[in-house]
Amino acid sequence: MSAPFFERVRGIAADILEVRPNQITPQSSSENIETWDSVHHLNLILAFEQEFGVQLEPEEIDEMNNVERIISILEQKLNHHG
Amino acid sequence: MAIAIQPYSADLIPAVKGFNQRLVAGGVAPEFHFPENNIPHWLPKLEGRRIHQEYYLAVDGDCVRGGFILKYQDFFFHGKPQPVVYYHLPISEGIVNKAYAGVGVHMLRSALKLQPMLFALGMGGFDRPLPQMLKVMGWSLCAVPFYFRVNHPAKFLREVAPLRETKSRRLLAALAAVTGVGSAGIKLINSLRTGSPEHGLFVEQVGGFTERDDDLWEQSREHYKLIADRACATLNALYPRSKNFLCIKVSHASRFIGWAVLLDTQMRDNKYFGNMRLGSIVDCLALPENALAVMQAATQFLEQRGVDLIISNQSHHAWGGALKSSGFLETRSNFIFGASKPLAELLSPFQNNQNQVFLNRGDGDGPVNL
Repeated sequence: MSAPFFERVRGIAADILEVRPNQITPQSSSENIETWDSVHHLNLILAFEQEFGVQLEPEEIDEMNNVERIISILEQKLNHHG
Repeated sequence: MAIAIQPYSADLIPAVKGFNQRLVAGGVAPEFHFPENNIPHWLPKLEGRRIHQEYYLAVDGDCVRGGFILKYQDFFFHGKPQPVVYYHLPISEGIVNKAYAGVGVHMLRSALKLQPMLFALGMGGFDRPLPQMLKVMGWSLCAVPFYFRVNHPAKFLREVAPLRETKSRRLLAALAAVTGVGSAGIKLINSLRTGSPEHGLFVEQVGGFTERDDDLWEQSREHYKLIADRACATLNALYPRSKNFLCIKVSHASRFIGWAVLLDTQMRDNKYFGNMRLGSIVDCLALPENALAVMQAATQFLEQRGVDLIISNQSHHAWGGALKSSGFLETRSNFIFGASKPLAELLSPFQNNQNQVFLNRGDGDGPVNL
């Protein structure tokens, strides 16, 4: 995981989840961020799709339940497209 | 293990029971539990019948993490067949365990892959999680107007929920009921709002629908921008004789002009209607110009049976206007119509055309809670 990529993901996640950026770590998940509910999860997905120009598959969406996994899936998709 | 969306098969019934138990433990009300039988109790798929339901599950190894239902019914856009499918009872483990927060989105996107022309209906208000999720996903939403007419004001003032919400409202309502002030006011509103009755109407209660009624359906459907199939085979599946539906046919000058399906239900400590006897205009059909005659006939029919209150949800402007001309008042509606992006594009501009779509309590999951 590259630092600039993590920072982009962190900025988006903090904005959508309405928390400070330093509260977002690779271990952040729906279980330890109070505002991360199903509607915010959807907003996260849509924001990542827009920011990175990718279309996430339904199967990927429910795997993206922590920041580390989000980054892994996004990187995979970007490498695949790139 | 990745969660997969798949049709509900009999071998998954124990996993659905486990899913429901986890929902119970999380305090989820029974009406939001997923059916514990893979064959739908209401509208199962039958040979030769088009209207039916299909159940889908979000399966995670041996566990079920969510489910949703698709209801298939033919729709017509300006009289031409148009596939449109109803998405309902999406329930995900995400509501009790945030580790599954993504399941709701996964299910909705999977349903859209199966059927892009999706709609949702009811949902309990714009502020509920499903409409919020639909809105974020770019669906177009509007409320299907709710209309009511009070027949027995004193009972209405004692029983209706908004008047029982606070102590001061309860006191005012009780005073109005006891003194007759409230009754007089409601009767005055009814008389001011009720137009002249149509002359020459004949109303007949029938046990069901026959192929002879299909001429009216074929003539009517092209007058509505979007309408679900209301041919006799579908109506008899939706409103079986074994249930308490009251079907009336309305004629004018000996010509069959429309029908309505009604309910007359004695409520018991209902959260909205207390212990009132509730009349509901569930479904109806006529050419738009005959909507008033059908609504007047339905209203009189229910009044004569002695109901305290009559209610109806109607999206189409002709039917809403007919209810208003029959002494109904319109109030805030929690009955929400949501159209997926492709469906909203078909109806474009959605905000201008939503009142040309024909929807009522006969659509969606039917007259539940009535």
